[in-house]
Amino acid sequence: MEKLFDKLRKHFKKGGGLNKLYPLFDAAESFFYLPGVVTKGGPHLRDSLDLKRYMSIVIIAIIPTLLWGIYNTGYHSLATAKNSPHFTQAIIQGLIILMPIIIVSYAAGFFWEILFASIRRHPISEGFLVTGILFPLTLPPTIPLWQVALGISFGVVIGKEVFGGTGHNFLNPALTGRAFLFFSYPAYICGDNIWIKPANIAKNTIDAISGATPLSLLNQYGQDVDIEGALNGAGYTLAELARGTYPGSIGETSSILCLFGALILIVTGVANYRIIIGGILGLLGAGFILNMIAPSFANPWLGLNPLYHLLMGGFLFGIIYMATDPVSAPGVNTSRWIYGILIGCLTIVVRVFNPAYPEGVMLSILFMNLIAPLLDHFVIEFKLKNRMPNV
Amino acid sequence: MISLTIKKGYNLNLAGSPLKNIIELKTPDHVALTPCTIPFIKPKLLVKKGDPVRVGDPLIFDKRNPEIKYLSPGSGMVKDIKLGPRRLIKEIVIALDKKEKYVDFQQFSKGEIDEIDRSRLIDALISGGLFQMFKQFPHGDIPDPNHVPPKIYVHLDNSDPFHPSHGVYLDKKYTLFQYGMTVIKKLSEFVICYAKIQKEAGESGELTDFLTHSIKGNYPSDDPFVVLYHTKQSINENKSWYISGQDLLLVAELLKTGAYPTQRLFCVSGNYPENRSYIKSRLGAPVSHLIKKISKTDKYEFISGGIFKGRKIEYDSYMGMFETSVYLLEKGDKKELFGFLRPGYNKPGNSKTFLSVFNKGPFKIDSNQHGELRGCINCSFCADVCPVDILPQFAMKAIHCKEIEEAVSHGILDCAECGLCSYVCPSKIEVTDIIKQAKRDYSGLSYK
Repeated sequence: MEKLFDKLRKHFKKGGGLNKLYPLFDAAESFFYLPGVVTKGGPHLRDSLDLKRYMSIVIIAIIPTLLWGIYNTGYHSLATAKNSPHFTQAIIQGLIILMPIIIVSYAAGFFWEILFASIRRHPISEGFLVTGILFPLTLPPTIPLWQVALGISFGVVIGKEVFGGTGHNFLNPALTGRAFLFFSYPAYICGDNIWIKPANIAKNTIDAISGATPLSLLNQYGQDVDIEGALNGAGYTLAELARGTYPGSIGETSSILCLFGALILIVTGVANYRIIIGGILGLLGAGFILNMIAPSFANPWLGLNPLYHLLMGGFLFGIIYMATDPVSAPGVNTSRWIYGILIGCLTIVVRVFNPAYPEGVMLSILFMNLIAPLLDHFVIEFKLKNRMPNV
Repeated sequence: MISLTIKKGYNLNLAGSPLKNIIELKTPDHVALTPCTIPFIKPKLLVKKGDPVRVGDPLIFDKRNPEIKYLSPGSGMVKDIKLGPRRLIKEIVIALDKKEKYVDFQQFSKGEIDEIDRSRLIDALISGGLFQMFKQFPHGDIPDPNHVPPKIYVHLDNSDPFHPSHGVYLDKKYTLFQYGMTVIKKLSEFVICYAKIQKEAGESGELTDFLTHSIKGNYPSDDPFVVLYHTKQSINENKSWYISGQDLLLVAELLKTGAYPTQRLFCVSGNYPENRSYIKSRLGAPVSHLIKKISKTDKYEFISGGIFKGRKIEYDSYMGMFETSVYLLEKGDKKELFGFLRPGYNKPGNSKTFLSVFNKGPFKIDSNQHGELRGCINCSFCADVCPVDILPQFAMKAIHCKEIEEAVSHGILDCAECGLCSYVCPSKIEVTDIIKQAKRDYSGLSYK
C-alpha cells in the first residue's frame, strides 16, 4: 500500500497532471498513514494526539446515538404498518431510510471541502468528518435528500469555508446548515408534526400520520392546561423521554445515549465538561425560576418541570455534541461556564416564550456562538487586569 | 525555606533516564568553543587558525559589549574555525596539548571574598570570562555588568529531561558552593536559591542552609522563569538575573583557584542502552567523546540542553558552553498505518484519548511530530499546561494580527519558552516558536 501511494504521488506533485487535487491525495494518504514528519525545532518530541484522533473520539461518541437513531427510525417506520416490528427488521428499515441521508451529507460536504482545499491549497481538515455525521443526526428522517445536500452545502460553505476552513469559523457548521433549512423550509423541519417515514409509501402518504412531537404538543393546547398531564397523556413520560423510544430528529431522541456520549467526551477531555454541565445547570436553573413565577402568569409552559425540558427535544444532543465544538465555543474556562449556562437559559426562554419555535436549542447555540468571542474578550480583559505586567 | 507548589505543567515519564553512576572520561583530543550556542552574541574573532592558545586566553568577544570575552576551554592550537550558514561562527576547535598551560587570574580567599566590593568582583568575573554565566530575564541574554539586579535566582535543578540533579554535581562540593553563594550575595541584595527536594534521597542538611525555596511540581516548575512568575512581588523584579547551580560552581572555582575551570558534569541519556550515565568531562567536549560506539548515527537525533528547550546537534559537533546534557532521540521518520485509530497504550501524551492513561511509563519516544499542521481549534490545551498562565492560543492570534502590544499584555514576556504549548497542540502549531519570536522582536533582539 505504501508503494501504491509512492507510485501515485508523482501525478499529484507539482507538474503532475492531477496537481490540483493534491489535497485529496494528501488526505487519503494521511488517513491511512500517520506521516513521518520529524520535529524541526524544540520541543523535540510531540504529543501523540493530533486532530484526526481528536475528531475520531467525537465520532466514537456519536456512534451510540447514530445506532439508536437507525433502530428508532426503522421501528417507528414499520410500526405504522404493523404492531411491534422485529428488531432486525427495524434495523434494516432504519438503514434503508438513513443511509441515503448520511451518504448525501458526506458526499455533498466533501465535494465542497475538496473544492475549497484544492483552490485555496490547504489540507482537507478532519473537522468535516464530524460535521458530516452531526448534520444528518439533527434532521428528521422525513427530510428530502435534496434538502440534505442543500443544508450541508450551506453549512460547509457559508458556515466554515468562506472564513478559511476549520479553526476560522465562528459558527458551528452543522447547526448553520440546519438553521438554513429550518428557516427556508420550516414545513419539513420545524417540529410541528412528528417525523415518521412510513414503511410503505405507496399505500401511506406522509399526511396519513399526524401527531405532535413533545415540544409541539403543547402549542396545540390553549391556556390553563396541565402540561405535565398532557405530556404524560400523550405517552411522553419522563422515562419514555429518557429512553428515546419516540419519533424525533434522528440522533436526538435517546437522552441516555447522549449522556453516554457525553461521558466519553468528558473522560477523554475532548469536550469541555464546563460547557455541558454549565448548560444542564443553566437549563434546570432557568426552569426552576420560571416554575416559581409560574402562578402569576397565564402561560402554562412556565410551570413545566425542568426535567422535561432537559430530556425533551434536542437539548442534550445540542449541548453535548454541538455546543462543545471547540472552534465556535469560547476558549477560556470561565467564559465556557457562562457560555454553557446561557445556552441552557436561552433554550428555556425560546421554548417557553416563543410558540413559533418549538425547539430552542439550535437557535440558542448559534446565538451563543456569536457571543463567544465577546465573552472571551471580557474574561481575558478581567484576567489581564490582575496580571502583573512585564515591561 | 518556603515551599512552592506549581500546579500546571506536565510530567512525562521518559525512557532512557541516566543510571546513577558517574563515569570520568579521559581528556578528549579536541575541545571547542561554540559561539552559535551563545544567546544573541555578535561574535568577533580574536584568534586565527594555527594560533597557540592557553586555557583562559580570549577567543572571541561580543561586539555588543567588547568587554565580554569568551575564553578558550583548552590549551593547544586553534585547529579549525568552522563557519555555519551566513558565515556564523559555529565552532572554534582547539587541538589539546598533552601538558596544558593556564592563564593566571586573580585568586580570592574566603576572607577576601567577604570583603570585596561589587565593582572589583564584576571586573574579576569579566576578565575571568565567566560573567556570562549570569543571564537576565526575560530573554536569557547576557546582562549589563553595570546593572544591579533586584534579585538573583539560583536554580539547582533542571527538570527538562535529563539534566544532572543537584545531588550529583554538588556532591563533596558544598564548600565551593558556599563560596559561590557569597559571591552572589555581593552582586545582589536578594538571592533566591531553590531546588526540587526529594525526600527519599535523604537530602543533606548542608544544602538547606542556602535554599530559600523548595519547589514541587511537574516540568518546568524549576525553571527560573516559572519561579520568577510565581514569586515576584513587583514589576521591577522582571529585570532579575539567574544562574544555574553548576555554572555557579564554575564561577566559584575561577575566583577561588585563579584558573579558568574546564570540568563539566554532563548527563548522557536516551534510547541507547550503553553509556547512559553522568559523565565527567571537559567544557566544550566533542559529542562523539561523550557518546561512544554508535554505528548508525542517522537513526538518532542528538538533543543537547534538554528535550523541550534544547537544540539538535550533530554527532561530530561539540557541546555548548552552557549545555550539560545530551539525549539520544530516535528519529521518527517512519509512517504508521492507521496511526490515529490505534488504542495507543504506548503513546504518551497529555490528553486522555489514548490508552496510555493506564500506562505509567516509562515511555520510549521518537522525534515524530505525530500529525500534521492544521488550524488552531481553540481547544485551550496549551493554556491548561502553561506554567506562567499565558493563554497561548490568544497570544498567538494577537501576534498573527501584529497586535504585539496586546500580546505583551497577555504576558508573553513571562514566557518560560518551555515548549509545552507546542508539545500538547493537537494542530501541531509551533506556538512556542511564534511567542519566542514575538518576544525577541518586541525587544529588538535577533532570534536564533
